[in-house]
Amino acid sequence: MGSECGVLVFAEQENGEIHNVVYELLGKGRELANRLNKMLCAVLLGFGLEEKSRELIYYGADRVYLFDHPSLKNFDVIRYKHNIVKLVNEVKPDIFLIGATRMGRSLAPRIAAALRTGLTADCVDLDLDDEGNLVQIRPAFSGNIMAQIRTRTRPQMATVRYRMMKPLSRNPNRTGEIVRMETEFLENSGIEILDRVSASGVNLSEADIIVAAGRGLKSPEDLKLIEEVANLLGGVVGASRPLVDAGWIGREHQVGFSGNTVKPKVYIAFGISGSPQHLFGMRDSDIIIAVNKDPSASIINFSDYYVIGDLYEIIPPLIRELKRARGVG
Amino acid sequence: MPLHNNALLDVAEEIERIVGERWVITQRDFIESYLKDETPEPIRPKPADNLILVKPSSTSEVSLILKIANEMKIPVFPVGGRTGLVGGSIPTKPGIILSLERMNKIEVDRENLMAVAEAGATLGDLIKAAEDAGLFFPPHPGDEGAQIGGLIATNAGGARAIKYGVIRNYVRGLEVVLPTGDILSLGGKLLKNNTGYDLMQIIIGSEGTLCVITKAVIRLFPKSKYMVTLIIPFNSRSDAMRTVPQILRSGVIPLAIEYVQLKEIMKAAEHLNDNWPVQKGFAQLIIILDGVSQEEVLLACEELSKICESNNAIDIMIAEAPEEQNRILRIRSNIYTALKPDMIDILDVTVPPNSLEKLMDEVDAIAAKYGVYLPTYGHAGDGNLHVHIMKEGMKDMDMADAIKNEIYSAAVKLGGVITGEHGIGKLRFKNLSLVLSEKHMEIMRGIKRVFDPNNILNPREILF
Amino acid sequence: MNIIVLMKQVPEIEKVRFDYEKGRLDRSSAGAVTNPFDLNALEAAVQIKERAGGSVTAISMGPMQAIEMLRDALARGADKAILLSDERFAGADTLATAYTLATAIKKLGAFDLVICGEKTVDGDTAQVGPEVAEFLGIPHAAYVEEIREINAKWIVVKARMEQSDYILKLSLPALITVTKDINVPRLPTLRDKLKAMRAPITIWTYDDLSQVADQKYFGFEGSPTRVIKVFTPVTGGRRGQMISGSPEEIAAKIVHILRENKILG
Ligand SMILES: Cc1cc2nc3c(=O)[nH]c(=O)nc-3n(C[C@H](O)[C@H](O)[C@H](O)COP(=O)(O)OP(=O)(O)OC[C@H]3O[C@@H](n4cnc5c(N)ncnc54)[C@H](O)[C@@H]3O)c2cc1C
Ligand SMILES: Cc1cc2nc3c(=O)[nH]c(=O)nc-3n(C[C@H](O)[C@H](O)[C@H](O)COP(=O)(O)OP(=O)(O)OC[C@H]3O[C@@H](n4cnc5c(N)ncnc54)[C@H](O)[C@@H]3O)c2cc1C
Ligand SMILES: Cc1cc2nc3c(=O)[nH]c(=O)nc-3n(C[C@H](O)[C@H](O)[C@H](O)COP(=O)(O)OP(=O)(O)OC[C@H]3O[C@@H](n4cnc5c(N)ncnc54)[C@H](O)[C@@H]3O)c2cc1C
Repeated sequence: MGSECGVLVFAEQENGEIHNVVYELLGKGRELANRLNKMLCAVLLGFGLEEKSRELIYYGADRVYLFDHPSLKNFDVIRYKHNIVKLVNEVKPDIFLIGATRMGRSLAPRIAAALRTGLTADCVDLDLDDEGNLVQIRPAFSGNIMAQIRTRTRPQMATVRYRMMKPLSRNPNRTGEIVRMETEFLENSGIEILDRVSASGVNLSEADIIVAAGRGLKSPEDLKLIEEVANLLGGVVGASRPLVDAGWIGREHQVGFSGNTVKPKVYIAFGISGSPQHLFGMRDSDIIIAVNKDPSASIINFSDYYVIGDLYEIIPPLIRELKRARGVG
Repeated sequence: MPLHNNALLDVAEEIERIVGERWVITQRDFIESYLKDETPEPIRPKPADNLILVKPSSTSEVSLILKIANEMKIPVFPVGGRTGLVGGSIPTKPGIILSLERMNKIEVDRENLMAVAEAGATLGDLIKAAEDAGLFFPPHPGDEGAQIGGLIATNAGGARAIKYGVIRNYVRGLEVVLPTGDILSLGGKLLKNNTGYDLMQIIIGSEGTLCVITKAVIRLFPKSKYMVTLIIPFNSRSDAMRTVPQILRSGVIPLAIEYVQLKEIMKAAEHLNDNWPVQKGFAQLIIILDGVSQEEVLLACEELSKICESNNAIDIMIAEAPEEQNRILRIRSNIYTALKPDMIDILDVTVPPNSLEKLMDEVDAIAAKYGVYLPTYGHAGDGNLHVHIMKEGMKDMDMADAIKNEIYSAAVKLGGVITGEHGIGKLRFKNLSLVLSEKHMEIMRGIKRVFDPNNILNPREILF
Repeated sequence: MNIIVLMKQVPEIEKVRFDYEKGRLDRSSAGAVTNPFDLNALEAAVQIKERAGGSVTAISMGPMQAIEMLRDALARGADKAILLSDERFAGADTLATAYTLATAIKKLGAFDLVICGEKTVDGDTAQVGPEVAEFLGIPHAAYVEEIREINAKWIVVKARMEQSDYILKLSLPALITVTKDINVPRLPTLRDKLKAMRAPITIWTYDDLSQVADQKYFGFEGSPTRVIKVFTPVTGGRRGQMISGSPEEIAAKIVHILRENKILG
């Protein structure tokens, strides 16, 4: 293994919790660094995160640059940028990956502009060409096309979409180095965080995962089953109009012509027949999975995967499988 | 004679041999959504208990099914998108529900500006197919989930009928299956045709009582190069209403002139978690204009603006971006849905366009007399008014009925009819005599017997 | 209060045809419209102006046909519009775009606030705003859903991140990018629309900006990223695959599909 930093990963954290996308980036970054025969590094900014920085090593980092300072506790884009730019100028990685979360997409362009380097947005795939240049694949035109992008400058920066790369499994025996960095404290960044509140309310139109139910549901209590599947997948609950009209669930959950238009990565429809009005709201989903008892239901023609069967028989084992997959219960 | 469950199951087996087991549905759970349409719940007819649902895939399958039903005198209920508002597709007798949803192919003939659409294709499918071919289907006769068969069977009208008319004006040819199983082909890709009685025109608007429509040739238009939507708020209804006939006389022919009231349109927007873009005035006109260039259309807008201003329009707002125009149409299309939970009935009385204001005054007087709220909006350019009879303040169904009858009488007195778009369905029989003479009814019954001697198609006593 | 709004003209995305076989896109049937988020940006600016006074300047970089969009911006309440148009600006990636826009803003002189859309519907990167802020050396907040307070010295906004809402106070001058939730763009009146049809639009070319900037950062030459090729994801029709078996087998297969598609770790 070489000694220089080939790939640098920004370790996004909020409330001291590292975002899952970081582990995915470490998974991909590990592969790229190995192919480049260089080190995989991560940069973590925050306060009181010594413990957490180990996790980054367990998930594949060779070295973690830790900026541990009260002024970095919360995300201040100017203070973060300032310290990261200094680091990048020192360690000169070939590749710098940042999660395409809202935080990442606010921070990365500032860093790129400060470094005067290219930045590719919201990548869904990364590869190396024969010369070791980064090949970046990203959707554009609102997801209708894919573009392959190369960067002429160094570092080659990219933000990478969540749930696109595979993390390595956590290995507490993996070793690495934690480098405590001197934080340059900016007294006045021009930004003051007055408050931070947990975002409330469902936002179907931006959800990545929607688990929806229709009139195949027999009683409002059964929505708990749907909720449980949604929670296990980190998704939100959607519904067809009859459930909303019956008052089983709030209107903000309705998908369709007179409800929300959604475009998740996966839409799972339990007991929904697929009326044109419902399809209007979800037909642009990446993957549609339908569970319906009736083989003649029209949603089946609009699905990527379908199950002809009773949702009440499918959901309980599905919940068990999901729990197992997530290592709970 | 009441139909025996066993008899129906026997038929089901026979039909399974025609369409395949998967497409004959007998389990009530799966049929549930075919038992109602969009008619408000308080007046919606009750479906029968004993029903099977059949989804054929071709005209010849439809023909075989009808032959069997006719032989065994089993009622057949053709259903479309079930967006009807008068219970027309509700299977009120034991029998067969016939859904053509699998017959949904559309072919566009660009050279002749026509689409050949199977009856189960939806309005949304047709709009999209036309657009994909660089053409345009101008009317917007209601919900986009309605099917071609349903639109033709009800001769639907809708918002954009001023410039090019209702569905009837678009249908150039039909393929239909008679209750006896005979397949009939009428008209074609023709713009002129004077060969014999025009049976096609009788079938358009026959509400599934004469035959099953399986295919239609539909006229399309070149895409308008440029389209805008105007929203014009007024402080009073009479200001808005007075404007409409003046526009119709001005030489500018809009695609649509819609009348809405701020209260209801805001409610529709709220229902969609959206906002209505113009929150001014009491009443508003929504006008859609198209043309070949921006200059042409904006010139027409200027012409209209003079008329509107002379009638005290507060402002004239213009939406140009397609996204904004679509949003306006979507909110407008959801007024009904937003009001529906509190509604008893929706009327679609129609009068000569210049009498619309008088009709609205009458409606106001009726509302005041009964002390109820009767929200109205309508296709103002067509003299077509939607009056909603709401639950609020209604003592009982008799009172609702009385109000409805008074509104009908008012419309007829003004030279109008009781239904301009939704049709008779299973709700408006009682009031037919207000408009149709006994002789007229007799001829209608005669026609029904010729087409459907055993009265199996969407049977309604009054027609037989 | 001097407010600058950055606006981009984009193809009408619903009308762009994507040829899934050849991997090409055909914009011929698509008209050009204002990037929808930029209408929210303009509306936010006009609302601030209505409250606090001042002026709103719309700036766009693009081909001459973007004049149409800027006229529409005038009808919707902008006081002035500037188009940066020159062949030598063409082919810019976000870095070069941001640099060019920042140069124009500097050339304009004093300003208090720059407002951008959250992203565009074509390039779809959401990078131009923060990059402009960096070139101008001012603080920024992205994904702003609400402007709570603004005065001559600072602005308080609510910015939405995935997990939390941040209430941020930025000292002016600053830049914000706004989401669709911030407001409902008003419709222009017909009168303003007609008036704007004849309004002059200032056009700045390469030569107007090259005196105040380093030319090597403009356009294609100044762009570090290169689009090598575009292709269309293989969607087209749906796969329509049946999943069968016992409920347990079906559940396992669904989980497998979710894994394959990285919905599940
Ligand atoms: C103007 C207008 C606007 C509308 N807007 C909307 C809208 O925004 N959103 C919307 O959703 N609808 C809307 N609708 C209503 C729409 O037409 C349909 O009525 C509705 O979508 C049907 O909902 P559903 O699929 O849940 O119910 P159904 O059509 O009744 O379907 C229920 C399905 O569940 C299946 N099922 C039953 N039991 C089970 C079981 N145990 N396991 C598995 N499957 C089972 C059945 O086979 C059936 O296919 C609108 C309609 C109109 C006219
Ligand atoms: C929100 C909303 C807005 C609406 N706006 C309008 C409007 O602006 N203008 C307007 O005119 N209507 C409007 N409607 C009413 C309705 O959309 C129309 O009547 C529509 O034409 C019905 O089509 P459908 O496919 O849903 O038919 P259905 O409701 O399923 O059936 C209607 C009738 O047609 C018959 N039928 C259906 N298919 C066939 C077939 N293949 N062969 C023979 N008979 C058949 C049925 O038996 C029934 O009698 C609106 C409805 C809603 C819910
Ligand atoms: C398929 C494809 C993929 C691309 N991928 C990348 C990439 O990964 N990285 C990269 O650097 N470039 C990329 N580009 C180039 C990029 O699209 C252009 O530089 C574009 O001009 C600006 O980026 P955007 O459209 O993504 O804007 P965004 O950054 O999404 O725009 C945000 C806001 O900035 C303002 N704004 C943006 N452009 C202008 C303008 N021209 N005039 C005025 N205001 C403006 C608007 O307020 C807008 O709402 C790509 C181009 C294509 C065609």
